[in-house]
Amino acid sequence: MSSEKIDFNKTKTFLIDTTKCTGCRGCQVACKQWNQLKGETTHFFSGEGYQNPPAMSEYTFTRIKFKDYQKHGQNEFAFYKEMCMHCNDPACASVCPVGAFHKTAEGPVIYDSERCIGCRFCMMACPFGVPKYEWSKAFPLVRKCTGCYSRVKEGMKPACATACPTAISYGPREEMLKEAEKRLANRPDRYYKAIYGKEEAGGTSVLYLTHQPLDELGFKPVTKRPLPSYTWQALRFVPGIFLGVGGTLSLVSWFQQRKDRIAREEQEQALCAGKRPEETRKEDHQ
Amino acid sequence: MTNHWVDLKNSDCIFIIGCNPAENHPISFKWIEKAMENGGKVIVADPRYTRSASKSDIYAQLRPGTDIAFLGGMINYALQHDLIHKEYVRDYTNAAFIVNAKYDFKDGLFCAFDDQEKSYDLKAWAYELDGAGNPKTDPSMKDPRCVYQLLKKHYSRYDIDMVCDITGTPKDAYLKAVQAYCATGRADKAGTILYAMGITQSTHGTQNVRAVAMLQMLLGNIGIAGGGVNALRGESNVQGSTDYGLLFHLLPGYLKSPEFDNVDLKAYNEKWTPKTKDSKSANWWGNTPKYITSLLKAWYGDNATKENDFCYSYLPKRMGSYAYGKIMEKMGKGGLDGLVCMGMNPAMGGPDSGAARDALGKLKWLVTVDLWETETSIFWKRPGVNPKDIQTEVFMLPAASSVEKEGSISNSGRWAQWRYRAVEPVGDSKSDLWIIDQFYKRVSALYKKDKGTFPEPITKLSWNYGNGEEPDVHLVAKEINGYFVKDTTIKDKDKVLEFKAGDQVPMFKYLADDGSTVAGCWIYTGSYTKDGNQMARRDASDPTGLGMFPKWSWCWPVNRRIIYNRASVQKDGTPFNPKRPVIAWNALEKKWVGDVPDGPWPPMADAKEGKYPFIMLPEGHARLYALDLKDGPFPEHYEPMESPVKNQLSTRQNNPAVAVPKNVSSDLAKYPYIGTTYRMTEHWQAGAMTRSLPWLAELVPDMFVEISETLAKEKGIKKGDKVRVVTVRGTIEAVALVTARLKPLHVEGKLVEQVGMPWHFGYAGMVTGDSANVLTPTVGCANTAIPEFKAFLCNIEKGGRKG
Amino acid sequence: MTAAKIVINEIKGYHRFIKFMMVLVGLGALASLVRFIFGLGVTTNLNDTYPWGLWISFDVVTAVPLAAGAFTIGIVAHVFHIKKLEPLVRPAIVTGFLGYSLVCVGLLLDLGQPQRGINVLRYWNIHSPMFEVSMCVMAYTTVLTLEFLHPVAEKFGWHLPLRLLRTLELPFAILAAMISTLHQSTLGTFFLIAVDKLHSLWYNPLLPLQFWLSAIFTGLSIVIFEASLVHKYMGQPDETDLLATLTRIIPWIMGVYLLVKFFALAFLTHGPLFDRPVLLALFVLEIGLGVLTPFCMYLTKKIKTDKKLQLRAASLVIFGLVLNRFNVSMFGMEQPGNMIYAPSLIESLVTIGIIAAHILFFVLIAKYFPVFEHHPETVDYSIPDRMRRIDHGTKHPAGSEAGA
Ligand SMILES: Nc1nc2c(c(=O)[nH]1)N[C@H]1C(S)=C(S)[C@@H](COP(=O)(O)OP(=O)(O)OC[C@H]3O[C@@H](n4cnc5c(=O)[nH]c(N)nc54)[C@H](O)[C@@H]3O)O[C@H]1N2
Ligand SMILES: Nc1nc2c(c(=O)[nH]1)N[C@H]1C(S)=C(S)[C@@H](COP(=O)(O)OP(=O)(O)OC[C@H]3O[C@@H](n4cnc5c(=O)[nH]c(N)nc54)[C@H](O)[C@@H]3O)O[C@H]1N2
Ligand code: SF4
Ligand code: SF4
Ligand code: SF4
Ligand code: SF4
Ligand code: SF4
Ligand SMILES: [Mo]
Repeated sequence: MSSEKIDFNKTKTFLIDTTKCTGCRGCQVACKQWNQLKGETTHFFSGEGYQNPPAMSEYTFTRIKFKDYQKHGQNEFAFYKEMCMHCNDPACASVCPVGAFHKTAEGPVIYDSERCIGCRFCMMACPFGVPKYEWSKAFPLVRKCTGCYSRVKEGMKPACATACPTAISYGPREEMLKEAEKRLANRPDRYYKAIYGKEEAGGTSVLYLTHQPLDELGFKPVTKRPLPSYTWQALRFVPGIFLGVGGTLSLVSWFQQRKDRIAREEQEQALCAGKRPEETRKEDHQ
Repeated sequence: MTNHWVDLKNSDCIFIIGCNPAENHPISFKWIEKAMENGGKVIVADPRYTRSASKSDIYAQLRPGTDIAFLGGMINYALQHDLIHKEYVRDYTNAAFIVNAKYDFKDGLFCAFDDQEKSYDLKAWAYELDGAGNPKTDPSMKDPRCVYQLLKKHYSRYDIDMVCDITGTPKDAYLKAVQAYCATGRADKAGTILYAMGITQSTHGTQNVRAVAMLQMLLGNIGIAGGGVNALRGESNVQGSTDYGLLFHLLPGYLKSPEFDNVDLKAYNEKWTPKTKDSKSANWWGNTPKYITSLLKAWYGDNATKENDFCYSYLPKRMGSYAYGKIMEKMGKGGLDGLVCMGMNPAMGGPDSGAARDALGKLKWLVTVDLWETETSIFWKRPGVNPKDIQTEVFMLPAASSVEKEGSISNSGRWAQWRYRAVEPVGDSKSDLWIIDQFYKRVSALYKKDKGTFPEPITKLSWNYGNGEEPDVHLVAKEINGYFVKDTTIKDKDKVLEFKAGDQVPMFKYLADDGSTVAGCWIYTGSYTKDGNQMARRDASDPTGLGMFPKWSWCWPVNRRIIYNRASVQKDGTPFNPKRPVIAWNALEKKWVGDVPDGPWPPMADAKEGKYPFIMLPEGHARLYALDLKDGPFPEHYEPMESPVKNQLSTRQNNPAVAVPKNVSSDLAKYPYIGTTYRMTEHWQAGAMTRSLPWLAELVPDMFVEISETLAKEKGIKKGDKVRVVTVRGTIEAVALVTARLKPLHVEGKLVEQVGMPWHFGYAGMVTGDSANVLTPTVGCANTAIPEFKAFLCNIEKGGRKG
Repeated sequence: MTAAKIVINEIKGYHRFIKFMMVLVGLGALASLVRFIFGLGVTTNLNDTYPWGLWISFDVVTAVPLAAGAFTIGIVAHVFHIKKLEPLVRPAIVTGFLGYSLVCVGLLLDLGQPQRGINVLRYWNIHSPMFEVSMCVMAYTTVLTLEFLHPVAEKFGWHLPLRLLRTLELPFAILAAMISTLHQSTLGTFFLIAVDKLHSLWYNPLLPLQFWLSAIFTGLSIVIFEASLVHKYMGQPDETDLLATLTRIIPWIMGVYLLVKFFALAFLTHGPLFDRPVLLALFVLEIGLGVLTPFCMYLTKKIKTDKKLQLRAASLVIFGLVLNRFNVSMFGMEQPGNMIYAPSLIESLVTIGIIAAHILFFVLIAKYFPVFEHHPETVDYSIPDRMRRIDHGTKHPAGSEAGA
């Protein structure tokens, strides 16, 4: 796959520092604006704090999750941006039968709607539950955060990163990682010691820093191995198995036929003037 | 703001009290975060645990309306523990000034109070003068009648226990906040205070602000980088609108609007031009006659001559208050024929909006100039009324939005930034300038045709904004900056400057009181010069590294980014904090470097020409002790008009200078909880601009109220339940959001619950809901009349609508 | 009589059961129509939490192994040259052919853009298990179609294709096995991507192998199941003694399967196994009733002669497989705290329609085509054939086209 040639140190990466996120949701609105997505009809709040809409969807590529709880008698009011992680080795791309997804050298994992057949395997595969379906349509396609590829390839920052006053930095992955490490080292009291996305799913183009432990915020624990490797470890045997099964069965068949023929010939020789073996069998059967 | 947004990054401690910048000024957090990265601390004092609070190092909860107690306790702590910036306090504030012997304070009341009129005789609070007519001072600050000693005595009553008992703040949180903030009293530390509606919307709002300013003076935090008294202004151009005289008592440039006894220009100047006998005081307001004359020249042009007092007689003279509340009161009594609401939604924005909506029905005609259909423009078909019963004729003029027109906008940091038209106005909508222009042209034509009692104020206006269909906004901007009416020669120190008639005035110090200059708003002189439109500059160079960006847009006055910056240096001109010098005196070249200094004079130490730093006051010193506020020289704690407790500091329950209105009730049996209103990021104000935008409506689709877990339990209310909130003024329905972020307060040994609500909902637009202002009381600040939206009493019940 | 009348009359003569099946098929077709008009969102209970539902779980993931009889019996009969089993081949092929055709129908219904199905051939992604399965299903359906042409050609007496097909019988059987091995196992590979989603009771790297093994023994069990039913209800010959051969083969494969399964469970899982009682119960049911019980049954001597036991064992295996595939593709994927997916009426009608279609077409095909009657010995392949090794048997004179 093309992604194997990408230098992940250079791919553009979001560093989302939730300790700096004010939950203003400018990013959420900027995303809708740039991508011209419909506003959803909501009622009250769906989830903690002021969280809305209820989930990412065909109309919502990114969403601020609110965590509103108490710990040791202290309030915790935390916000984090949910979006496509733009995995280095994306599960969505690997499972798509028509290769509709691919990781670009710039960083975003993009989707070619012209190819998509709508099988939703990408949705099953994505460990972060990102791709969403146009359930409202008779002939639906998949929708997800585009990483604002149209902007990024023109040298601009994604709409959400541009709108964000505080929390989102955007730049080459290696620099973002360095920056993240620096922040962790400079202010250990402020941060929970982990960079989500550094290794998750084999590394992603979205990195998170948090104050609260990841599980408290509802970050999914995700394997550190690139997901495609899980299927590839089976799929890579495909040609071998294919030929192996074919070869073995041919051999077996040749051997069995030969055995039968020899048996038959022997039989024939033995009963040279007698009945034919087939007839014998036939009679046997009837 | 004395400082500006970017400057927040220079602070060592950011004290956020009575505002919620994370939600209401989100971009500010860009700079607050920068400060935090450099080790700056953030303190939030707010009744609610807000999104700002969630980012803070120290959060201190306080009861709505008790900021003076909170801040007074800090002042007391700083004084008692000697954490103040001594040199600064002695030399730059009026701490050493001696107050006359009549001054007195007893049981919550200052001297010379007239209980009938509910007003003080301000003269009783004057300084004691020496033989030359200058205030007496005692630089040792030991004199028992000097401001410092009076101050110390006044706030000695505000000890930690008393304060926490009043405010309900947990003691450890309070102490942490106080200690962290008072640590900025050191010369090399900067602390900034951010405030907004939590401070101002109170019957003692102005005194709240004063308390903020006093704390800053004591800690030497005004005029320095990373310091200041910083009001986070509200509407995107509210700074601009007050600069240009939006308020009834002001003309453009904060000139006072004439009072009824300012019969002629002379009398006006007499009344409003402060005087000083101290040669070290710059007393900038001494220039008032130049500014008012230039303003009259801008308005009446060639019609304004020395002989006719520059048409001064055309100006309306005020008598009494024309504050919003008063206008509504009059309107409610049928005292107004018509009303023009230009970018305003009085059916929503004011207090007791039920009464306001009824009052609109007493008008003969109503004009709304707005982007949207608002609650005001459809008040006649609001829920619960029969349109047939309302006779008011309503005209809706569609206005172009900010991105559909060109012009300037002034932000909280006083930066005037030029904006361009991005798209054509939608449909028939027109720029406000076009609408005003047409108003003028048509009304003037009518006056000319049909005459009238007093047509001149309109017909004599000088109105030269081009011949196009759309008035030329650049001509407006140029007139605001001002120009010379005739060829002029000015001697400025060693230079001689020649100007031709029609040349733009480069600086307001060249404005004159003889009718030779025009300036539509003197503080903006310098914004549009012969070098072009300074507001349109977009040079992002930052020579000081302090984020002042002197060539980015333009800021009043004279592009000074931090005002009172002469207070950031010692008397000899060396910066208090050499690491963050706003300005510094270069003794060799005899000039200031850095920001534009507050006046060109050498440092205060210079015996001949040196000036005091607070140039806008006649005494040149910042006022720890105020002389001109209606409710006292020192802020004193009083309870809000509706309060669940008795004032603990005195027997004066409420601000004595505010009359108790009707329609308030502190009946705890009926209204046991504190109601408070606020904003949230997702909606804008009355909601016209956001509740019809699907992307924002989806974020906060319903009117809701926030209550604590304990109150919810007591009332059997669950998250998502319909509830109704009740005050003497009305009842609203909302959805309950039960959250640990809202906690009851421990006050005077009892638990007081709060009911918090946004005020963004109304009956117009895409998503609708009941308005919080149906509940709020019509009572305001003694000085500014801003309503007390933040602290009233209410009750809450499970279940929806009833009444 | 017009053609239509003939058809109507013909149908009138059908058994009640067949007519009932026809009604179900009709309803299914109607439901499919509704799905295309109103879209997946409205007509199904699928959503972003459950992007795959009944159609994938049953119509694809389960139906494919259920149609595995064709290739397994093909191997046994042709490759291992156990010629006496040949009578079982044709019904299995018909089942397979119908099964796969209906899998294709199911898949097309489930796709958001069925008209673009062809894209799988245009844009290859060899990393995609779905790509692999799609290619295989297409290839295999083609093979099955060709194989199915056998009885068709026979019926209409097309000698040339018949002879050609006969020649290709063995290569086809091998090809079928190759293709089936791949996609039966790859259906398991599908779920390897669901690393942190599929519960550990089922998630392990040997899932593809397990899918393949279970497809084989289920395929064979299906043959037993079908033959038994067909004997019972359609008056076809009793093949019990042929089936006995299969009952000897099946437990071997099941044994290997169980070993693999328990090995994987013991050594290759990552998460907790016993944290979800409902899933645990499903697992116990699947293994206990669906594998261990029939395994023991197959091990008894009685099974060779006991028709009822054969049917019961086969039925349990099938039950076990169905449950297994649902466990893997649906139940085991449900995350705690999420709402539970239940198929909508439309989804159910479509699936029921597909099952009914399978039965219906099988019966009809069996009625009009030589599916059971076919015994290769009775066929005349007497046109000279050089490609085929000259075999004395081919000179058989006797006759007729299929023994209609
Ligand atoms: N998104 C958004 N931004 C806005 C606006 C908007 O409508 N929406 N409006 C703009 C306008 S016009 C303005 S004026 C500004 C106002 O900006 P803010 O002043 O920040 O607005 P509020 O939310 O009204 O009040 C601020 C905080 O004061 C707290 N508070 C209430 N009572 C007290 C008290 O007695 N003492 C203290 N210390 N705090 C108290 C409230 O809990 C609230 O968190 O915002 C501007 N920005
Ligand atoms: N309970 C409670 N009430 C409050 C407050 C509170 O904190 N609590 N806060 C108070 C405060 S600080 C304020 S500032 C007031 C605000 O009260 P209002 O000013 O009455 O309310 P807004 O919704 O800001 O109204 C502004 C209107 O201007 C329109 N508009 C926008 N752009 C343009 C334009 O370019 N031209 C024209 N002509 N119109 C335009 C908008 O559509 C909107 O309808 O409310 C006050 N009311
Ligand atoms: S997060 Fe999901 S959708 Fe995004 S790239 Fe990774 S696998 Fe694909
Ligand atoms: S739904 Fe479309 S993008 Fe997703 S895997 Fe299927 S074909 Fe690929
Ligand atoms: S990168 Fe673009 S598409 Fe993705 S969340 Fe941000 S704005 Fe939306
Ligand atoms: S724009 Fe930035 S600060 Fe605001 S919610 Fe999004 S990530 Fe957080
Ligand atoms: S709305 Fe405009 S003015 Fe307010 S914070 Fe955002 S960018 Fe600044
Ligand atoms: Mo405001």
